[in-house]
Amino acid sequence: MSNPPKLADKFLTWFCAEELLDEIQGDLHEYFHSLDKNPWKKSLLYWFHVFHFLRPFAFRKKFPAPYNNNNFMLKSHIRVSLRVLQKNRLFSFINIIGLAISMSIGILMMLFLSEVYSFDDFHAYKNEIYRVTTTRIQGSSDETSYLTTASGYMADQLKSQVHGINDIVVMRSEKVSTDLKTEKKAIEVDGFQVSATFFDIFSFKLTAGNRATALTDPNGIVLTESTAQKLFSDQDPLGQSVSLDLSSIPSTWIVTGVMEDPPINSHMQFDVLFAMGSLSSSRENTVTGSTGDPTTTGDYYVYVLLDSLTSPEVIESSMAKVIAEYNVLSDSPISHHLQPMSTFVTSETYSNLIGPSFPRQRVHVMIGLTLLILLSACFNYSNLSLARVLKRSKEVGIRKVTGANSSNVFFQFLIEAIILSLLAFIVGFGLFFFVRPKFLSIQEIALQGMDIFRLEIELVHIVYFSLFTVTLGILAGFLPALFFVKLTAKELIKDVSKTRFFPGLNLRRTMIIFQIATSISLVTASVLVYNQYRFSLSYHLGYETENIINIPVKSDYIDILKHNYAQVSEVIQVSKSSLVIGIGGDGLSGAMTRVAGMKKPNPTLIGYIDESFLDLHEFDLLAGSTFKNPLMAGGNPGYIIVNEGLLTELGLGTPFEAVGKTMELNGSQVKILGVVKDFIEIGLTKKLFKSFAFIYPNQNDQFSTLSVKFESENLLAFIEKLEKEYSAFDLAHPFEFHFYSDQIANNYRHQKLIYILVTGLSFVAISISMLGLLGMAVFNAESRTKEISIRKVLGARLASLVLLLTRNFLASVIISGLIAIPLTFYIVDRLVLNEFMYRHKIGWEIISGLFVVLILGMLIVGWQIRSVARQNPADLLKTE
Amino acid sequence: MKKEYLGELEELILLMVIMLKDEAYGLAVRNALKEHANRSMAIGAVHATINRLEKKGLLKSRLGGATELRGGRSKRLLRLTNSGLQMLEKSRDLKVSLWMKIPELSLNSF
Repeated sequence: MSNPPKLADKFLTWFCAEELLDEIQGDLHEYFHSLDKNPWKKSLLYWFHVFHFLRPFAFRKKFPAPYNNNNFMLKSHIRVSLRVLQKNRLFSFINIIGLAISMSIGILMMLFLSEVYSFDDFHAYKNEIYRVTTTRIQGSSDETSYLTTASGYMADQLKSQVHGINDIVVMRSEKVSTDLKTEKKAIEVDGFQVSATFFDIFSFKLTAGNRATALTDPNGIVLTESTAQKLFSDQDPLGQSVSLDLSSIPSTWIVTGVMEDPPINSHMQFDVLFAMGSLSSSRENTVTGSTGDPTTTGDYYVYVLLDSLTSPEVIESSMAKVIAEYNVLSDSPISHHLQPMSTFVTSETYSNLIGPSFPRQRVHVMIGLTLLILLSACFNYSNLSLARVLKRSKEVGIRKVTGANSSNVFFQFLIEAIILSLLAFIVGFGLFFFVRPKFLSIQEIALQGMDIFRLEIELVHIVYFSLFTVTLGILAGFLPALFFVKLTAKELIKDVSKTRFFPGLNLRRTMIIFQIATSISLVTASVLVYNQYRFSLSYHLGYETENIINIPVKSDYIDILKHNYAQVSEVIQVSKSSLVIGIGGDGLSGAMTRVAGMKKPNPTLIGYIDESFLDLHEFDLLAGSTFKNPLMAGGNPGYIIVNEGLLTELGLGTPFEAVGKTMELNGSQVKILGVVKDFIEIGLTKKLFKSFAFIYPNQNDQFSTLSVKFESENLLAFIEKLEKEYSAFDLAHPFEFHFYSDQIANNYRHQKLIYILVTGLSFVAISISMLGLLGMAVFNAESRTKEISIRKVLGARLASLVLLLTRNFLASVIISGLIAIPLTFYIVDRLVLNEFMYRHKIGWEIISGLFVVLILGMLIVGWQIRSVARQNPADLLKTE
Repeated sequence: MKKEYLGELEELILLMVIMLKDEAYGLAVRNALKEHANRSMAIGAVHATINRLEKKGLLKSRLGGATELRGGRSKRLLRLTNSGLQMLEKSRDLKVSLWMKIPELSLNSF
């Protein structure tokens, strides 16, 4: 015999009124058993009848009598809360300011996060767009590299062999940076070569031209509105032809479309899009027409639009099958994965990034720090409220006696905290507008002028903010509320001091230690990072950077410009080079060097310079001489100048021995002309190879920079002179100049950023914990007034009183220090400054945080105690 | 006094309760309706009506008569109250008197 379906019974029990349940269920069961049908039908019928009991008469009445004085109680709670806040002005002030400061940080963080996570939101297919990424294990070194790019081969295979992909678009990973010219004008643009399906997948808006065909024309080019405006001003750009000089792509293009500028929250930014060109008909089925080499994983960005029914794992396994053949034969296995568009900017560090990146780890650290600050402010509230239990206990006791139940008391305290938090929010919101421009200026440091964040407040955010405020209020008020609920009326009204003078002493001490440790930790961290930053700036790089201006120029007029610059009265010396050394490695090239008998060639960095470069930058020439004449055209043996590192790598002995020796550079014989002392080639964070060689080429096309050493009283006038000379030769590119020392500093902008952020946060943390301390000190001094007076009467001196009353504080600081300092040291040493090859030695500054907190704290606590201790004990003791 | 008339279903249910005597409870009423009046109804609908009638004071009930088939759950055994009986009589009388007033519409004429 079958039984009625249990679930239906459960459902019935859930909604049915208790007093009716018995008979109803009885009837239903009887009905069920009376049925003479197959079990499946019986169950169905049973369900049917259960559902028919969903009638008002059968419903359980969940809330018996409506509590009709809710509104009244709420009003009363609010009124009492406001009175309490008003009465204890100092405490309200301390709490509101503390919470407000931390809230402004919280608001900032929320806006920041919502902007980070709304990246690429404007794409209609955001959830279906994936990027093919590459993971490659280098067989020789066991290093794994992660790329956001993939091979053309894989793109072709995805197109022809793999099912479940709606569409695929490829972009050449190499950015096209060039001058785009019409007959009248030329402007600099950055662009990508993309396949014809680009606009099918991405939702960029076209304002002119046809979405479907704009990029099918092999010579089609799509301009962004701002580029079109610059190039054609008010003319209609459609159908116009533009040209460029690059060997890699065709020179003439026809404008087939104009699109809106990519929104700032687009992970890809560009001025123009080039059609990728037609493919020969034999390879029609492919997207890239590649030759089928799966190892060229740096060639393309491959985006796919998945079928909504296909899971990315399926495609990944298909790709694994495609690549398996190759992996069998190779010692550097490749695997491909699909990365969803939502993680493009927050994923772990990939190479070949196309847009900005906020690695999830960093974002989490920022969230963590914000939470620390918020928690610290909440603790202030909890701590001060708990400490003041003594004063509130009579009030709560009377409430309880007159019939308040525990939920009344609980809500009273919770509402107090929420009101306080709302007030703090108003102040914090005002503060936010002070913090915002600071934060936005930080972004400029970090992203070099790229504006990605606006931190504008939208309507949705208001909802978040209110939730945030209430949550914070609940968080802060929870502990004190809970404490009062637990005590009975009798305990409260009876002399509370006898039962529990300081409730939750351990808890409170833990909170204080937490706050102080946070402050110490952040102060220490900012000092450590700042020291490293200063150290990096003042590090002797091996060459001079003061009073040197670097000007990017084009090679075709470099000689004449150099000549003209040399005539300017303030100029001491001018030199040409292919790069600016020490600012991150742009413009460096590499070569292989060896001497006879060496098995493996030695990778070497190469810099192209002229005869005055070493002299101008005051490189330390250890032996030999600088260049006098350029390398002969094709003439062997040429001359090079090398660094000490190269000598040790190639085993060429001391600098003096090495001069005049012959070695091989990329297969041709060169003679060593001179040896310079080792210097910082790229920056303090990176060292690629030990070897470095300077070459003086006989042609100008490697040169891209003029360095001008100057001595000038009137900088503005001087720079104007330089600009005037420059504009005689180059009209297409605006005059740019950089002070060398600024460029060096810019190389460490990342550290500067961390330093600014951590300093800001440590300032906030210190302010909050000191406010809390002030509150506690005032309270302590108040409640111990009598004790202090009696001690004084009995002959205690001021110093001993201060010591007695600051003992607790001192102990807390020391415990906090013991926790915070090693932790901070570890984090800063291993996780923040680990990228530096040349490190500032950490010394006494490791205790700077402790020191700062101690001094500030002692001042605050001592000042309070002193003000009590200085009063006449007779005045304080005569009452009572 | 409250509403003076009976709904059609209410009337039927009251009649069934009288008919079923000591065995009048929700499910039995439903089965009787099906059998004698050719009305197929959800058990819940019958219960709802019985509940309403009880609130109006036309029915009274006691719990009892648990059986094994019901899993030991008791039935709500129903009986008519005096006012219930009166309501039925009133309803019947009203209809009869209406029929009497229209002799030409006697059943035979159809």
